[in-house]
Amino acid sequence: MKKTILTITIFILTGISLGADSAKLSVAQIVNKANIAAYYQGRDAKARVHMEIVSDSGAKKVRDFIILRKTIVDGGDQKFYVYFNSPADIRRMVFMVHKHVGEDNQDDRWLYLPSMDLVNRIAAGDKRTSFVGSDYFYEDVSGRDLFEDTHKLVSENDKYYIIRNTPKKPSDVEFKYYDLSIDKKTFLPMKIFFYDKKNVLYRKIEVLKVGIIQGHPTALYVLVTNLAAKSKTRMVFSGVKYDIGLPDIFTERYLRVPPRKYLR
Amino acid sequence: MKLFDKDVDRKLVEYSVVHHKKITIVMLIVTAILACFIPKVRVDTDPENMLSSDEPVRVYHHKMKKEFTIYDLVVLGLVNETDPHGVYNPKTLKKVYDLTQFVKSLNWKENGKEVGVVGPEVMAPSEVDHVSNIGMGTISFEWLVKTPPKTQEEADEFKIKAKSNPLLLDTVFSRDDKAVAIYIPLTSKDVGYRVYKQINKYIKDNYSGAQEKFYLAGLPIAEDTFGVEMFLQMVISAPMAMLVVFILMILFFKKIILVISPMIVAIISIICTMGLLIAFGYPIHIMTSMIPIFLMPIAVVDSIHILSEFFDRYSPEKGRRAVIVEVMHELFVPMLYTSLTSAAGFASLALTPIPPVQVFGLFVAVGIMIAWICTVTFVPAYVMMIREKSLDDFGDSTGKISRENPMARSLHWLGRFVFRYAKPIIVASVLVSIVSVIGITKINVNDNPVRWFTLSHPIRIADIELNKHFGGTYMSYLVLDQKQEKVDLPTYAQNLSKDFEAQIPKWKEKGYVNVDKVASQMETLFLKLSKTASSKSELLNAIFDEAYERSFKADSGDEVETWDVVGEYFGLKDEALKPFKQPDNLNYISKMQKYLLDSGLVGKSNSLSDIVKKVYQELIDGKQSNYRIPNSSRAVAQCLMQYQSGHKPYDLWHFVTNDFKHANIWLQLKSGDNKDMRKVIAVVNEFIKKNPLPNNLELHWAGLTYINVVWQEKMVFGMLQSFIGSFLVVFVMMVLLFRSVGWGLLCMAPLTITILLIYGATGFIGKDYDMPTAVLSSLTLGMAVDFAIHFIQRVRANHVGNSSWRGTNKIMFGEPARAISRNVIVIAVGFLPLLTAGLVPYKTVGIMLCCIMALSGSITLILLPAMVKVWRHKLFCQCKSVRCASCSFIMCSVVSLSTVVIIVLCIEQYIKSGLSNLLLIAAVFSLVLLIGCYLFTRRKRCRDLPKTKESNEV
Repeated sequence: MKKTILTITIFILTGISLGADSAKLSVAQIVNKANIAAYYQGRDAKARVHMEIVSDSGAKKVRDFIILRKTIVDGGDQKFYVYFNSPADIRRMVFMVHKHVGEDNQDDRWLYLPSMDLVNRIAAGDKRTSFVGSDYFYEDVSGRDLFEDTHKLVSENDKYYIIRNTPKKPSDVEFKYYDLSIDKKTFLPMKIFFYDKKNVLYRKIEVLKVGIIQGHPTALYVLVTNLAAKSKTRMVFSGVKYDIGLPDIFTERYLRVPPRKYLR
Repeated sequence: MKLFDKDVDRKLVEYSVVHHKKITIVMLIVTAILACFIPKVRVDTDPENMLSSDEPVRVYHHKMKKEFTIYDLVVLGLVNETDPHGVYNPKTLKKVYDLTQFVKSLNWKENGKEVGVVGPEVMAPSEVDHVSNIGMGTISFEWLVKTPPKTQEEADEFKIKAKSNPLLLDTVFSRDDKAVAIYIPLTSKDVGYRVYKQINKYIKDNYSGAQEKFYLAGLPIAEDTFGVEMFLQMVISAPMAMLVVFILMILFFKKIILVISPMIVAIISIICTMGLLIAFGYPIHIMTSMIPIFLMPIAVVDSIHILSEFFDRYSPEKGRRAVIVEVMHELFVPMLYTSLTSAAGFASLALTPIPPVQVFGLFVAVGIMIAWICTVTFVPAYVMMIREKSLDDFGDSTGKISRENPMARSLHWLGRFVFRYAKPIIVASVLVSIVSVIGITKINVNDNPVRWFTLSHPIRIADIELNKHFGGTYMSYLVLDQKQEKVDLPTYAQNLSKDFEAQIPKWKEKGYVNVDKVASQMETLFLKLSKTASSKSELLNAIFDEAYERSFKADSGDEVETWDVVGEYFGLKDEALKPFKQPDNLNYISKMQKYLLDSGLVGKSNSLSDIVKKVYQELIDGKQSNYRIPNSSRAVAQCLMQYQSGHKPYDLWHFVTNDFKHANIWLQLKSGDNKDMRKVIAVVNEFIKKNPLPNNLELHWAGLTYINVVWQEKMVFGMLQSFIGSFLVVFVMMVLLFRSVGWGLLCMAPLTITILLIYGATGFIGKDYDMPTAVLSSLTLGMAVDFAIHFIQRVRANHVGNSSWRGTNKIMFGEPARAISRNVIVIAVGFLPLLTAGLVPYKTVGIMLCCIMALSGSITLILLPAMVKVWRHKLFCQCKSVRCASCSFIMCSVVSLSTVVIIVLCIEQYIKSGLSNLLLIAAVFSLVLLIGCYLFTRRKRCRDLPKTKESNEV
């Protein structure tokens, strides 16, 4: 019996490695490349985001913000600065992250509320909460740490590697696992499907449009669907620029005084 | 002007007697066909359907439910009275957690739709966020319960967190630490019973013998469970009543074979009526489920009269055929009239503006007429099918049994008593009526679906227990809406642009660059857009977006700032249009909530204001003093943005709509009684009087508890209307039947006093006037008038041959009184088994039917002969011929005026505008009719009539 399983396993593994073009890539390599493609293009980057949250009843809410990103260590630490423009009454609100990669390394997060001139640190802990009322999570903004999951190649076809990611600490998250469909050419994760404890698909993130910006394949239109709450969030990226030479504006001082120059 | 052919009855009975087999077969076939529809039955126990689906309050309720994504809620409570830590111990909290997980999974597919529990909307400790300021300017968002506490220390820690959130206190967590609740939203009310059963099964399977007690409460459960138990009651109570009626009849008439016939009549009329009801596509509602119980007494009453008469007259020498023809001839007219009056009594329920009651009334009326047809055709036919031999020892034509029977003896005694004390009896009746009227003024109009269950029912127990610990299991929603306003956009734009120009120097002063350039571009664009935009909001949004767009093409970084500040001006103007982002309105809501809470009528309320206050408090420093609404609308918006950064951003939309133009205050009430809900409405109105609503807002109510109030109010007035209607219809019929206003009035006396007494007693006892109680007035009217008709018909028939009233009185307390008494006893006792029912409305019907029968029977027997004795000279001196009656001005006017009132009552509810107009038309019409009556009764033929009316026979 044991032998049969072993044989099958070997067969599957070899089958994959034989069938694929990039036969040499291990699961870890694929996942790393995808992580780089999604979050680490260029030394730094800037994008305008137009976000629409559409509820089951069709009611629509809009958010506009500008996102600035600077990589400190490739595939490692990063800094994010999210500046809100609309709706008018949350204009100048800022969300900032210092992302720290590695096991037991917690991100630092800040929030600036201009109406109260208040800078709040957000306690380390659950990052899987809604990003400003959308179906996107805070964790989706800065990216989920690769260390938090185990990765397994479950299948692949001409276009995608399908990687199953299972959390190491299941009690920390609401999903049982999620499947990433990684584009074989660009290594951008094109689909992320989340499954609940009963193996039911309840949330998905899909990249619906990709553009090449300064040579980097970049997601320009992302759709997040919350199947349980029947809510959708669309995000359209525009004005994407890489390597703009961002100085270190990721400090508390710049929360109150936004770096205008880099926000246009 | 004959009302009907005198020979019709004789012909009909002859036909039934001759063709008895044919009649039986036809009847059975018709019944069988109608019975085929019964399996297609649909049940509807939703009290919401007491109102038609296009009723404004219902339409609003559903619109509001959709706008705020609100579902009907069931409350599952865990109470731990034994543990010193209450529910805050690892074991109980684990159960709460597991139950929540189980409840969330309670959904299934039905007709391609997901039904059951709305998982993501479940409200429980593990389903809500805990927002807290943990010091050093750090704010934390986390699940209140991610994994249930494992040690007592963790549980203690949890308790502090749990009780720190005012939104959850009294809702999810009780103040006394002994209880915790899970709020379970249902896709629709009709899954209530299934969810109830599954949760109960889970609790039984997993937690039997646990120290916690588990309770499930909420209107959806009560309503749906009632439907299920109602069916059981129909299956148990109706046959049980039938059995008792059957046994009593055997005791009276001794012959099973004969007594079977009324039972057959009852069963057939019930099957036919229910078959018809279902065939017409009506669902079985709480009211219609009572059709069998109401039809049973009415259906057997006529047959009992026949049997009673038959029993008293039968002798083998005469033979069954001769006796039945004789009996039928004598009873035909009273039976027709009693059936018509009962039917009219019920049909008048169609005047109530409550659809299920209308259906109920009409179908009982149909059932009564079916029963009448069966009685006059089938009962004689049935008698013919009995072998003559088996009736050998039947009957009492010698009167031997009657004399020896204690009932007969006491009736004779009663006859003598009534004869002697006629006047005191009348005086006593008047006094009793006056006292009853006082009782009626004390009547308490109230209903609550949960109270349909007896005190020992788990649903009632849960209701009592949970309302002891929490803010309440009855939900009602107070909605504040922004008024629709007409906008003249160009004028608005002109005014705004003036204000805008006034800002320019201020911006310059603050050092923004290129202000003139940017401002003039924006102003031109703004005025241009104002010509095409359809609303203020659309216009302001468009200009705000455009400024944002242009800022990306700005000449310099400094000019970007100018674009921003100028664009923001318009954006903020748009935000200012949203009433529920304004601190003043939020403070108003808080003030109203506090007022309601202080009144003691509302156990708990939650609103947008509570959310804003809580978030603001935690954002600032977590101190109690900052539990307040911030001063600016921008701060409100930013607090709300933070709230939405939790795990359940959608929760916000239960309290406010996306456009911030409608806000919902969720009220939890400890009692679902309509009278308590009415008090809450009164307190809100009182508050608004003291603190007028902000001028662009208006207030509406929604929620099941409120809907129940609306239909109850409609019911009280509707029932009164329908009662007056049926009273007049019956009165007109009586006047026509007896061709005399006096006899007609007399006939109405027993039922009037019965109704006064019944409802007077209801008022004194403090029993709530609910739907079954209300509907019973129609039954009272139908039954009481039956006895009066039978009695008066006999009085008039018997008095012709007897010159002295003493003699007639004696005859009346013989066989006619016995027939009435038998009827009273059979039905009164027959319905006592309903008292064993587990559902309160059935008990009410049982006890009230018993009282109604006993009262109306005895009042007929006591009061009528007394009244006839006192006023016999007036009563008997009137004319009896049709021609003579048509010449009576009084009769003509009474009938005409009554008819006008009936018509007014009928069309009143369909007329939307101007009740006074209708009354005016009615008054004019009445005058015309009176003149008509005057001319009609003075016509030539009437003048020819001898002046002295028919001879005085007394």
